Amino acid sequence: MDMLIYDLQQSSTTVQALAVTVGGLVGVFVTLAAFYLVMVIANKAGGRKAKAKAE
Amino acid sequence: MSDLFIGFTSVTWQQFVMYAIGLVLIWLAIKKEYEPMLLLPIGFGAILINLPLSIAGIPTVPGYENGFLQILYEAGIRTELFPLLIFIAVGAMIDFGPLFKNPVMIFFGAAAQFGIFATMIVATLLGFNLKEAASIGIIGAADGPTSIFVSSLFAPNLLGPISVAAYSYMSLVPLIQPPVIKALTTKKERRIHMVYHESNAPKWLKVLFPIIVTMIAGFVAPISVPLIGSLMFGNLIREAGCLERLSQAAQNELANIVTLLLGITIGASMVASNFLTWKTLMIMGMGLVAFVFDTAGGVLFAKFVNLFLPRDKKINPMIGACGISAFPMSGRIVQKMANDEEKGNIILMHAIGSNVSGQLGSVIAGGMVLALVPLLVK
Repeated sequence: MDMLIYDLQQSSTTVQALAVTVGGLVGVFVTLAAFYLVMVIANKAGGRKAKAKAE
Repeated sequence: MSDLFIGFTSVTWQQFVMYAIGLVLIWLAIKKEYEPMLLLPIGFGAILINLPLSIAGIPTVPGYENGFLQILYEAGIRTELFPLLIFIAVGAMIDFGPLFKNPVMIFFGAAAQFGIFATMIVATLLGFNLKEAASIGIIGAADGPTSIFVSSLFAPNLLGPISVAAYSYMSLVPLIQPPVIKALTTKKERRIHMVYHESNAPKWLKVLFPIIVTMIAGFVAPISVPLIGSLMFGNLIREAGCLERLSQAAQNELANIVTLLLGITIGASMVASNFLTWKTLMIMGMGLVAFVFDTAGGVLFAKFVNLFLPRDKKINPMIGACGISAFPMSGRIVQKMANDEEKGNIILMHAIGSNVSGQLGSVIAGGMVLALVPLLVK
């Protein structure tokens, strides 16, 4: 990883921008995917609770 | 005698241009109602700071040390305090309810950040360094406080034009988005109906969500903690249910006071010698590019997702365009477009869900840029 960062530090600004683009978009998707999982799990747990209450 | 007329003798033509720019911003705020709460103070601040001898800013007159605008700048922008306080207010205004009902919408909040990164690449091709390019790209977050936060850290010299571009284009979303959406979608796609299931998210989810989001963001990009933390703190106050007064104070008094101070302080960064450059013109152009790329990124991502969905579960691709942070303007525009295509096609709640996720996405994208750029700049 350190090697990759070192190589990128030596690269042109546009290549660095491309690297930030890839890293940034992956980071945004992964982070929001984690939020998505939280919501899905919570909705499922909430649904089960509501079902149990109705029964 | 010449001291008596020093104001007249020391004014420059560049300052006259700045008065004109300030007046145009004030006109746009009052007459066109384009983001008036910000453009009016910015316009007035631009006039104020360019009056001769800069008494309100960094005075060039012996005996005056700091003008009040300089003090506000040091206290609120250089310390990043104003954008963070605005985030607390914004957090208190956000209702994540529509997103909880349709969590998959959150991915549009990620796809529509494409404009940030695409614009950053364009900016580097135009000769800006990586930190300046990242600050310009962040205009595409369609999120004023994030733009101010990032540019105050990476390119304080470009704060004025970046802020003006961000707020101007946010107010122009109703003009920018529809042609891009229409160019990328067919009539048939714009007529897609989406089923909406009415259900209420449990209260504990609404309370836990801001805490969990802050923690996850803190682990992924620790540098984004001030941004996401203030946004989620505001939201927690709103959802706690027992802090109604604080929630109202954040949504009203805090938002109003900080907006007022933020606007005039940004205006004060528009000193003629810094503002009247080719860079400003390029930033204004790239700001527009960022909004176009954002919209295109969201719409194309929705079309891509549709390739894998069964016919009865297709997403109206216009929803993708709402993944930007301009809330609730973008959601409303898309609903209006859907209704114009086919009377009675209601996709508002999906659009708002996507729009809310754009607010999360823009802050996370800002955090990513803040985390990654310093790694590559020696």
